[in-house]
Amino acid sequence: MALNALGRDIPEFIPGYGPTKLYQGAFALAPSANYHGPKLRVTNPDCTNKVLPDIKAAIAASGLKSGMTISFHHHMRNGDYVVNQVIDACAEMGIRDLTLFPSALFGVHKHLIDHIKSGVISRIWGSVNGPIGTLFSYGGVENPAILRSHGARPRAVMSGDVHIDVAFVAAPSCDCYGNINGTQGKSACGSMGYAMTDCQFADCVVAVTDNLVAYPNSPVSIDQTHADYVVAVDSIGDPAGIVSGTTKVTRDPLRLLIARYASRLIEASPYFKSGISFQTGASGIALAVTAFMKDAMVKRGIKGSFGLGGITSYFVDLLRDGLVEKLLDVQSFDLGAVKSIAEDPRHIEISADMYANPWNRGAAVNMLDVVVLGATEVDRDFNVNVNTEASGELLHGTGGHQDTAAGAKLTIIAQPLLRGRIPCVTDKVLTVTTPGECIDAIVTEYGITINPRRADLLEAVKSIHDVPVISMDELADKAAAMAGPMEPVETTDRIIGVVEWRDGTVIDVVRQLVKK
Amino acid sequence: MKTASAGTLESMDCLVTVTEAAPGSGVVIELEGSSVSRFRSAMEKTVRSTLSDLGANDVTVNVNDHGSLDVVLEARVETAVKRLRGEK
Amino acid sequence: MRRTMLYLPGNNPNMLVRGHLFGSDGIIMDLEDAVAMSEKDAARTMVSKFLRRGDFGSTEVTVRINGVDTEYWKKDLEAVVPHKRLDGIRLPKADSPQIIKDVDEELSRLEDKYGIEQGHIKLFCILETAYGIWHAYDVATASKRVAAILPGGEDLVADLKTSRTPEGTELEWSRRMIVIAARAAGVDAIDLMFPRVTDDEGLRKDAQFSKDLGFDGKSVIHPNQIPIIHQIFTPTEKEIEKAQRIIAAAEDAKARGLGTVSVDGRMVDIPVVKRAHYILIKAGLEKEAE
Repeated sequence: MALNALGRDIPEFIPGYGPTKLYQGAFALAPSANYHGPKLRVTNPDCTNKVLPDIKAAIAASGLKSGMTISFHHHMRNGDYVVNQVIDACAEMGIRDLTLFPSALFGVHKHLIDHIKSGVISRIWGSVNGPIGTLFSYGGVENPAILRSHGARPRAVMSGDVHIDVAFVAAPSCDCYGNINGTQGKSACGSMGYAMTDCQFADCVVAVTDNLVAYPNSPVSIDQTHADYVVAVDSIGDPAGIVSGTTKVTRDPLRLLIARYASRLIEASPYFKSGISFQTGASGIALAVTAFMKDAMVKRGIKGSFGLGGITSYFVDLLRDGLVEKLLDVQSFDLGAVKSIAEDPRHIEISADMYANPWNRGAAVNMLDVVVLGATEVDRDFNVNVNTEASGELLHGTGGHQDTAAGAKLTIIAQPLLRGRIPCVTDKVLTVTTPGECIDAIVTEYGITINPRRADLLEAVKSIHDVPVISMDELADKAAAMAGPMEPVETTDRIIGVVEWRDGTVIDVVRQLVKK
Repeated sequence: MKTASAGTLESMDCLVTVTEAAPGSGVVIELEGSSVSRFRSAMEKTVRSTLSDLGANDVTVNVNDHGSLDVVLEARVETAVKRLRGEK
Repeated sequence: MRRTMLYLPGNNPNMLVRGHLFGSDGIIMDLEDAVAMSEKDAARTMVSKFLRRGDFGSTEVTVRINGVDTEYWKKDLEAVVPHKRLDGIRLPKADSPQIIKDVDEELSRLEDKYGIEQGHIKLFCILETAYGIWHAYDVATASKRVAAILPGGEDLVADLKTSRTPEGTELEWSRRMIVIAARAAGVDAIDLMFPRVTDDEGLRKDAQFSKDLGFDGKSVIHPNQIPIIHQIFTPTEKEIEKAQRIIAAAEDAKARGLGTVSVDGRMVDIPVVKRAHYILIKAGLEKEAE
């Protein structure tokens, strides 16, 4: 055992993971090797049609064997059919001991639990939520889950930490030779950002589509030079689960209060001027912050340069109203965003690599001024936990949290101080996802709390008169006083989850819970 | 057996049900809900001390918690016990 | 300042924990209309415990008890008065000076019993009958505890033998009379709540009307209403700046022994200077003279 730079105890070797590299700091490690590429392939010039009759035929043709690694993107979100269909097919074909490498999983994938228990899937390198997360948390899976950020995932593939044998790509629109876009068809999802690196680096790429179009397809997000096979199915997903209708700003008073406080902080910061770039998620509070910022921008005549990340129709409205010049979209959340990315040249599709990879020649998060994020917990050192809940269960992936926090000039965590009785500000987070050195401010219903590292922001908030400013110690003390004394989480020594930092070092581990 | 309850399943509340037990059986506490994994001892302590203040000795208390703070739990236990006794 | 007073249903822990964070000038923990008959006991216990242990910042903390025509009012007072955090009682159906005197007496008894400064707890009187509105001045002056008088809503409409209209015609003159009586008696006038919580534009119109009539503020039933009402009831920077110039000119004239004051080329007389002070008090820049 050794302590990493945040004082977390990390063993030199973790069974099911391998030797560990200790986290040394948010920007400590740089790469020194070359890209780790896929096999060279040839498609016979006589073959003018890569379409195979069904998923099983594609699996057979791909050479997928037990023990290999398969990948999926999550643009079909909670409406996805493809992951479950492919794993079901593998199980029927007797293929087992697979490493599942999704960019994220959703509730619809709880279908995989039986396959995990029976050993068809032996490893999950990606987020584990809902019942799958609970299964991991109580020791139901032999190998630990490996949690990586959206930017770390392409890094891991490019550096050879992860080798994808077969990538299955749900494709809303695809031709017989494998030219893919995400904006057309009944299962349109908008940006295909999380699929791109998989297609470039996997040894075999299978496009699964419910919308086979004439060759050549246009527009092209992922081109034919990557696809080995194409499969046409009835449906790749349920549109209602893929995108929501329109994302509306919350009217919940508590969320609005927190959002208003966060917006006031942004307005007082040195970044609130023409050319500002920002990212807010689709969560209630984050979206409401965008709404308040919009009002402030209109009042002060400020135009933003770009919006980044998961794009909602609310952000599309900002583009249309001229409050922001461009949108960089790695994931389109609703119908308005899907329509906009298809029609508006200012709404740009980007890969996860361009979005957030720390080991390329510069990701979009580096150009970001402001990001508003959530958390399950924050501690007195401003370390943030998004992976485990108060019960100790591993229930959430990392998402773009680490990347945006590291890249943005102003990183704000906006959340209620308590969720029910559970305090969201504690002495020490159970699991560190994002280190305090990347976090600039916490905003709760009790006001604005600035990381003392940011003397400039401490100065800037002196100009805010209508929002309380409260120190971290006061905030943590208040949370403790309101919640009362908490019992510690009881775990065994066995590690069931490895939380990697963007550079592949181990920032923290999640241990198995004792069943009560 | 006489039973009474107080509270709701709304966010930050708890539903407390108290049931009369045979004399001498003492206090039995059943807890369920999101807070229990980290606040079991604190919740049991509050239930016991509230019962003690009210002089309630032989009773089963079931708490279905939805994120109640200590002050809320105390209020619901007290109301449930008073209802059990027919006080209004 | 009493620009906004937010109702918090007494049996709703979520609102009791968070209610004071939304920035209203005061809160009203409600034991009356927001609580079903079967839950009066639960609400009373809940509010009592919150007063003892809760944290409400610097908000003015009041409780709306049940009316003196019910079996609950004395139990309500017994449960809430002992806790020093209580600032005032909102009394429904406070329709005669006698009712005020009875409640005043009960409050004095409880203040004495629990070692609270005599007269500390203020009264906010809701006038819910025609008789009450007619005797508003007498009610307002019936006790030194009376801090504000308020017009009733549904019950008053029924007593007037009319019904609700979208324009609010049925209650308009009751509201006007409250302002007159309040000013004559030297107490605050707090206007009706606006019931349509998603109608921001309607609230704006209604709040502007309240302000123009001369009310000090409004009751509020949803936190989202607070910023809108504050915006209307708080003087603008322009108004504040002008008021400050008027007062400066008046003080300058006084210091130089001049009879008249002139601001922006216009003569300014005493009522205008008075109004300027009032604007600064509303803006929180000056303290109200007792």
